[in-house]
Amino acid sequence: MASARDEILGKLKAAPKTKIPTRPFLPPAEEVAMGRDALVNRFTEMFAAETGIVYRAKESGQALETLTEIVQREGLKSVMVSTDEVVTALNLPAWGNKIDVKVATPKDFKGRDDFKDAVFDDAEAGITGVDFAVAESGTLGLRHDKDQARLISLAPILHIAIVPVERIVPVYEPVIETVFGKEKPPSQFVFITGPSMTGDIQGQLFKGMHGPRRVIVILVG
Amino acid sequence: MQVSTEKFTELVRREVEKARLRPALKMVPHFLHEKREAVLADHPDAPAAQAYGGAIRSEALARLPELLEEFEKNAISNGAKVFWARNAEEANAYIVKLARERGAKYVIKGKSMVTEEIGLNGALSEQGIEPWEADLGEFIIQQMNRTPFHIVGPAINIAVEEVRDLFLSKAFIKEPTLDPVELGWGARLFLREKFHRAQFGVTGVNMAVAETGTIINLENEGNIRFAKSSPRTQVSVMTLEKVVHTMKDALHLIRLLSRNCTGQKITAYVSMDSGPRKVDEIDGPEELFIVIVDNGRSRIYQDPRAREALRCIRCAACLNICPVYRQIGGYAYGWVYSGPMGQVLMPPLLGLDKTQDLYRASTLCGACKSVCPAGIDHPDLFLYYRSLDVSADASAAQRFNGKERPWKETLFFKLWGMAVKRSWMWNSGISITRPLMNAGSRGGAIRQMKGAFRGWFRKRDFPAMAEETFRERWEKTVGKGTDFKSVP
Repeated sequence: MASARDEILGKLKAAPKTKIPTRPFLPPAEEVAMGRDALVNRFTEMFAAETGIVYRAKESGQALETLTEIVQREGLKSVMVSTDEVVTALNLPAWGNKIDVKVATPKDFKGRDDFKDAVFDDAEAGITGVDFAVAESGTLGLRHDKDQARLISLAPILHIAIVPVERIVPVYEPVIETVFGKEKPPSQFVFITGPSMTGDIQGQLFKGMHGPRRVIVILVG
Repeated sequence: MQVSTEKFTELVRREVEKARLRPALKMVPHFLHEKREAVLADHPDAPAAQAYGGAIRSEALARLPELLEEFEKNAISNGAKVFWARNAEEANAYIVKLARERGAKYVIKGKSMVTEEIGLNGALSEQGIEPWEADLGEFIIQQMNRTPFHIVGPAINIAVEEVRDLFLSKAFIKEPTLDPVELGWGARLFLREKFHRAQFGVTGVNMAVAETGTIINLENEGNIRFAKSSPRTQVSVMTLEKVVHTMKDALHLIRLLSRNCTGQKITAYVSMDSGPRKVDEIDGPEELFIVIVDNGRSRIYQDPRAREALRCIRCAACLNICPVYRQIGGYAYGWVYSGPMGQVLMPPLLGLDKTQDLYRASTLCGACKSVCPAGIDHPDLFLYYRSLDVSADASAAQRFNGKERPWKETLFFKLWGMAVKRSWMWNSGISITRPLMNAGSRGGAIRQMKGAFRGWFRKRDFPAMAEETFRERWEKTVGKGTDFKSVP
């Protein structure tokens, strides 16, 4: 007996062939022609439309000040941070020591289960860098790898993303070309646009269904 | 899951009488449709974007077998394991076996239509493995043991009072509340524990990309991301038509699906997996299984016209605009899929004999076709299924279990066919029928009729037949056999 695979593919291959249609012309998105400032504005506007909050910092010192403000205003005692290059450059463990906030990274944990306990139950916010920010829709792009754990931007109720302005791109296409182009793609790549949300009860929309209720961006540069 | 597509008329009668359904049906489809229109208007050339989506799906179907092979090759080279299932039983048996071998006590599920189709929850429960639906809407209908009312908002019709009672009885909330936000919070806290301890996650797939072996999921809540981040094992189930060629094609479909589905530029989360996590990653699945389900689709694929139904990307724009769906809601369609997309998909999946009323319950107004981002011509398919159903000898009809019509109907159309081709038969037929037709007419309208046509007159009138036909008047005024050219 043929395997299910061969049987299914065999049936598909034996079926009548159809023509491949030509594709219509698509005008490019207006973001493609935008300069740096316009892109930053578009990203901010789109991110805000999804209830995202954007802060602007000139350099990393100012970014840390903004972070301190946020953490103190929210009364946060414990945060989980990624070890990606954007966040690492800020040396958040040292910053946490100074302002008396517990800063953990996935590297502090023996394995998945310990890390999960901390990120689900302990962390009041997750702080990550991003690989891309897309102006088209105010979207963050994160490549998950050893320095960008998946649950940091997902499990805590607040997600704070540090976005270097040079990582803002007009549309999704260049992101995909970079991430899925020549090298092996990451185990997971994710686009995040605003907080987790639902409208499943009577169509009433609200944020923070399973993931973060709020997403804050600190634009640096 | 029980299939009740044969009881369509009966179910419709039941559904339209539910007063409770009215507010939900008055609001939700209209609201989603308006949002869709607004966000599509943002696009520099929305009609071209929609047509481009149709071309992508058309090409994907034309090249389906080669794209599936390419997808499989790349998914395996990314480290995923690929399993092919001929039908629901094979898919379920495989997933249940994986879960048992890994000692999973429960399974956390991201929202997926295909696992509804194959009835995975039932198969897991039978083996003592609890399935937990984690999308809020799916979570609610799972607890209430219902089918999806809408493919995007499965519980959108359920009154908030019912959700309150359900959540109280299951202790998801402690105090009664009618606030959807607080109810959602109760579900969040309950499911959070499930996400936290999960060892086994199951998701569907929105797109499978051949050139990279990547699977893509769109969602707003985060339930799918959790199911793909927390457990050690991830199983993602896809029907075989989900494959597209390139990441660029997938991007275009992501834009279209988000806009047509919920009126968003992009859903809150779009996650793209290429294999399991790497050894140095702390979360994400250690093993990723991709289950490719046929379940009747390779049979549909044999027929190039019926194949068009496989273009669907499950956005539900056709449900929201459909004048029939807007009156009867999702339950009447009798299975997991509803609205026009269900009406084109379920007949060849389940058989034309079991879905008789589904492809007839349409005015052929074409609203569905006008909004479809995948280029499906729903009315054309309805007509095709109807034609297959009455020509039960054709091979295509046999493929989809076309059923013979009742003998009275067959006889009627046979006589009709003879009459319209022969003027003497037509004319004598008219004079025989007129007194019968007009017997019960009042004020120039026939309001009811006995016998086989009774049903037609239940909600409709028909103008009484004129005392004279045009032909009779012609003969009276200008004389029988007069050539019309000679009449001044």
